[in-house]
Amino acid sequence: MHARTIVVLAMRNLRRQMRRTMLTAAVMVIGGALLIFAFALSDGTHEQWIDSGIRTSTGHVTIEQPEFRTSRRIENRLATDLRRKTEHALASPEIAGQVVAVSSRLSISALASSAAGARPAQILAVDPVAEARFSTLDDQLVEGRYLEPDDRLAAYIGVGLASSLELRLGSRLVVQAEDTEHEIAAQLLRVVGIFRNGVPEVDQAVVHIPLQTAGEWLGSHHDVTNVGVVLTGSTAVAAVTAHLERALVDPIARGDARVMGWREANPALAAAIAIDSFGNYLMFGILFIIIAFGIVNTILMSVLHRHREFGVLQALGLTPGQTGTIVLVEGLTLTAVSGFIGVSLGLLATWYFFGDGLDMSALMGEDMTFSGVVIDPVMVPQFRLVRIAQILTFILCIGAVASIYPALRAAKIDIAESMKFER
Amino acid sequence: MSESNTPAVRTEGIWKVFQQEAEEIQAVRDVSLTVERGEFTAIAGPSGSGKTTLLNLIGGLTRPTRGRVWVAGQEVSEMSNQQLAQLRLDQVGFVFQAFNLLPVLTAMENAEFPMLLQGVAADERAARIDELFKRTGMSGLEDRRPGKLSGGQQQRVAVVRAVASRPALVLADEPTANLDSATSEALLDVMLELNRDLGVTFVFATHDARVMGRSRRLVQMVDGRIDSDETRA
Ligand SMILES: Nc1ncnc2c1ncn2[C@@H]1O[C@H](COP(=O)(O)OP(=O)(O)OP(=O)(O)O)[C@@H](O)[C@H]1O
Ligand SMILES: [Mg+2]
Repeated sequence: MHARTIVVLAMRNLRRQMRRTMLTAAVMVIGGALLIFAFALSDGTHEQWIDSGIRTSTGHVTIEQPEFRTSRRIENRLATDLRRKTEHALASPEIAGQVVAVSSRLSISALASSAAGARPAQILAVDPVAEARFSTLDDQLVEGRYLEPDDRLAAYIGVGLASSLELRLGSRLVVQAEDTEHEIAAQLLRVVGIFRNGVPEVDQAVVHIPLQTAGEWLGSHHDVTNVGVVLTGSTAVAAVTAHLERALVDPIARGDARVMGWREANPALAAAIAIDSFGNYLMFGILFIIIAFGIVNTILMSVLHRHREFGVLQALGLTPGQTGTIVLVEGLTLTAVSGFIGVSLGLLATWYFFGDGLDMSALMGEDMTFSGVVIDPVMVPQFRLVRIAQILTFILCIGAVASIYPALRAAKIDIAESMKFER
Repeated sequence: MSESNTPAVRTEGIWKVFQQEAEEIQAVRDVSLTVERGEFTAIAGPSGSGKTTLLNLIGGLTRPTRGRVWVAGQEVSEMSNQQLAQLRLDQVGFVFQAFNLLPVLTAMENAEFPMLLQGVAADERAARIDELFKRTGMSGLEDRRPGKLSGGQQQRVAVVRAVASRPALVLADEPTANLDSATSEALLDVMLELNRDLGVTFVFATHDARVMGRSRRLVQMVDGRIDSDETRA
């Protein structure tokens, strides 16, 4: 009974103070919209960074022999049956919707040489079809073509390596590496394609060759050093990792395999995103302290203007608590409604104006890169349900916090004082 | 204890002392007063003599510095804020000099507000309001907001509100001070009629000679003390 009366009073008061209500609402709407806009863009950008970073490295999730990451030696590889078991687990319908690409590859350090000299190279022996789906390198072709299923002795190299070894399409190069018998083995390859990634380390060193060629050259047959997985997005990592850890529980227990998410596999990228996010949170923290003060101010002003009304209410028998509750309900309703409108407007505007991406290339030089990530000048916003829920909750909290002090003021008024009639 | 044979209000040696900077203001000094149910009492006195402060003490809006107050048999001094609120809701009706009404509620909603808080059933609320609006000549104005009512009409709604919740007494602090003489007279008639027909207990603070003249009991205050207390036959 009391609750209904209190709510009715609060709603009528909001309506009566339309101008003040609209002003506060406008602040909340702008704040909510700004938050959604900025977070959608930053989430989208981070997702692009992740995608770019993991596609030129080991994927959103990678399955490896536990020591391989530090040793980088061919003996720390996944045996063929473990590789098959992993690929089988990844084909499970349970996670099929989240898996975009799976590529099993043998990664080894080698020395590449031509008549012009020798250079260290990072050989990635792949299944051409699977890798083409996994990697972005095949799209960054500048000359020739990417590897094809029937290729033998073919090499797909970066522009950096091509220029230092003076290689062109059709040129021959020799690669040397330690084989499974701990002998140095050499392999002759022919350049079929040249790519340009933008990250200098990649363009200088990465060489894709067919997995079959590597298996014969090094005696590793169908063994690989990692199975990389690209997912629909970084939010799917936890579920897929959990699924793999269940499917590979025995090899993991034996120490033959390990499942790693991209954060663990690309710590520099994870750190860059964390730093960038922290900056965002800090900015919004400050922005919202300002907004919160604005709201405290408007709600407090409305309380001070209605001193006499609160006096009447308490003279009539409302308790201080109920009086404060009216102010709280007013503040919370105001922030909830305007926060909801703000978030909706933010979503709509971001989607409508920037849904296809916000082109920042005018502000960016060419090829901005860091830790293996090429920064795409087109920022594509990403809308996450969790993020929207977070922002709405955040706005409500601000409304609650901003209403507490005015509510206390309303609760604690001196009735006799507020009823004084000035003549 | 709150049966109707107890006095509407009884005070025993109450004091109210305000501390203003270094100065100590004794607004009410050693007042002992009993108002029986059904009385129609005016408290008169010069400005600053302590009338408002005394009404606030009786109505549980302020706590006495010293002394004790019983409203409808309930001792007020020991009550918590919640209990005081409940006491005001159930036992005391207030009519202030002006701006009594909540501007966001209609005349009807204002009048039934305390009954809503008391949990009085809807049909009972409607019946009481209907009767009191008729008696006070307010029928037909139920749905107006206070801003659309004259000063006299607003005071009538305040009187209806104070009476409708069936309190032990109605406290009115200069209810006619903002009204012209004809309107004052009419409001006074309404209250006298409610007192006579329904037995509503009224206690006024007033400067108004008409109110004093028509009150059965007249309490005169000077400097916070009761100077005289006369009841006419
Ligand atoms: N909150 C307060 N703080 C300090 N002094 C106060 C306070 N309230 C009242 N007083 C003083 O107490 C005395 C009595 O005031 P009160 O308002 O009760 O007088 P009153 O008889 O109602 O006067 P009026 O006829 O002008 O309404 C006055 O001197 C007043 O200044
Ligand atoms: Mg007074």
